Amino acid sequence: MSQDYTRFTLSQRLQHIFMFVPFIILVLTGFPIKFPESEFWSVVMSAAGGIDNARVIHRFAAAVMILDFAFHILYIGYNLIKRRPSLADMHLVPNVRDGRNIIENMKYFLFISDERPRFHKFSYIEKFDYWAVFWGMFIMAGSGIILWFPVLFSKFLPGIVIQIAYIAHSDEAMLALLAIIIWHFYNVHFNPRIWPANKVWYKGTLSEEEMEHEHPLELEEIKAREEASK
Amino acid sequence: MPATIYRRSTLLVMVLFLLTAYPLTAEQADAENCNLCHGLALFGITTPADGFRSFEVTSEAYRHSTHRNVICRDCHTDVNVFPHPEEVAKVECYKSCHITKPFALTGYSHLEQSEAHAISAHGSNPEYSAKKNAAKPDCKYCHSNKFRNVINNESLQENSKHCVRCHEGEGLAGVILHVSSHSGHRTAEASINVVELCSSCHADQGHMKQFDVNLTQVEGYERHFHGKALKRGLDEVANCMDCHRNHLNLPADDPNSSIHPNNIQQTCSANSYCHSDVSGKFAASAIHSEPTSQNNPILFYVEWGFIILTATTMALLFAHIFLDFGRWLGDIWLRRKEK
Repeated sequence: MSQDYTRFTLSQRLQHIFMFVPFIILVLTGFPIKFPESEFWSVVMSAAGGIDNARVIHRFAAAVMILDFAFHILYIGYNLIKRRPSLADMHLVPNVRDGRNIIENMKYFLFISDERPRFHKFSYIEKFDYWAVFWGMFIMAGSGIILWFPVLFSKFLPGIVIQIAYIAHSDEAMLALLAIIIWHFYNVHFNPRIWPANKVWYKGTLSEEEMEHEHPLELEEIKAREEASK
Repeated sequence: MPATIYRRSTLLVMVLFLLTAYPLTAEQADAENCNLCHGLALFGITTPADGFRSFEVTSEAYRHSTHRNVICRDCHTDVNVFPHPEEVAKVECYKSCHITKPFALTGYSHLEQSEAHAISAHGSNPEYSAKKNAAKPDCKYCHSNKFRNVINNESLQENSKHCVRCHEGEGLAGVILHVSSHSGHRTAEASINVVELCSSCHADQGHMKQFDVNLTQVEGYERHFHGKALKRGLDEVANCMDCHRNHLNLPADDPNSSIHPNNIQQTCSANSYCHSDVSGKFAASAIHSEPTSQNNPILFYVEWGFIILTATTMALLFAHIFLDFGRWLGDIWLRRKEK
């Protein structure tokens, strides 16, 4: 009998939505200033109501995103304290298996092996996605807040910090956008095995077939646990 | 050079086209009827050496110019006889004219500005050759003579947008404020036009190489938030003149300079819409030169760090995607071959 398996809880799905909606708005209101002579971004800028509006919208979206990230940090803290998970239960923490999986996957890609690596709840691909956003949030929010209140921050930080924040905000934004539209979109949309979209971000569940294909090791563990509790 | 042109009068062809009966409107400044001739379309002279030289003052441009209420001879002081003398003096902006300053009885002149310009980086330097000094902007280089240039409607609109930002719906009070505070104004030009004007020399590295100045000022400004936001239409960001002043442009090592380390803090907060209550540290960060490994190593390496990080990450991610996609395509091919 085929059954569905919970991958993301409602809270986790909402956290994702409150991350990507502001992300899109921030890109649309930020990149026109990064590329002031681009015709394409001019159209976007006019759609946002000109630079005066765009600056207000950008800050509002940033506040939503930062609050979402702050909630995520509290959420992790709360779960760490409440559940006291073992290292093996913290599925997003990179481990030795990821290294092994990368090698196995390379062998699979190059037709050296026909066996796809057997992933647990999060493959190294998904872990990279998660930690890229995690790092990006500190860079983008940190530099963004400095640029929001440059005079305030320069009261206790050297002036060069504002210039570094300016470069970091602009360049990390580019990196984040590329990572999302190339890496994340390939893995959840454009990958021909996934196309047109992985619906788990709003459904929250995966079917048994999907589990078997993408997360066999996790499925194996769940089944073993069910077996033991019988 | 007008004198030499006139001396070659045998080669001179007077061009006088009476294309249409010119509508002469009663203009206060044209009390002496100069426009009777100078208002004619294509009024001018042609010489083989210089081509056509226009003496035309179009009524439209004249009415809209800053000097619309100034009588021609207030500036063209030695044009007192008709026909006009062959040799006429250049217009000097510091001469006082018949306009009186508001709330004062003295004749108006641009002497103050002219004196500031003379001691500024743009003034002539006795150590420089005449050619080098001529390469610096004089009054008219920046304050283009709008008697002669037909006003571009687009730039007029751009500039009036700039005025309306503060003066919209202010009525009579606004007009009084406008007149009395005119000298305290930031600029009558839109900021984007100011940057364009300064860039006409400062972005030209070939031109600027002869002077001892930073050659990447304009590039640096355009990389900075002020430059980018201005291109996107945010008019209140600092343009060149906000920090470097309009007439008294002095190099940073001059203690009277607005960008001297002792004064720059004051400069950043000079206008109410600029940064208020700035610290010395903040002011020290407002540099717009291109960072190099010598002048600003930290910034230079941070920037390269991000470029390398982005390039490496993208190279690895792309490689992974292509390999993954390749395996998928390969599998299809293998399955077909089996059939």
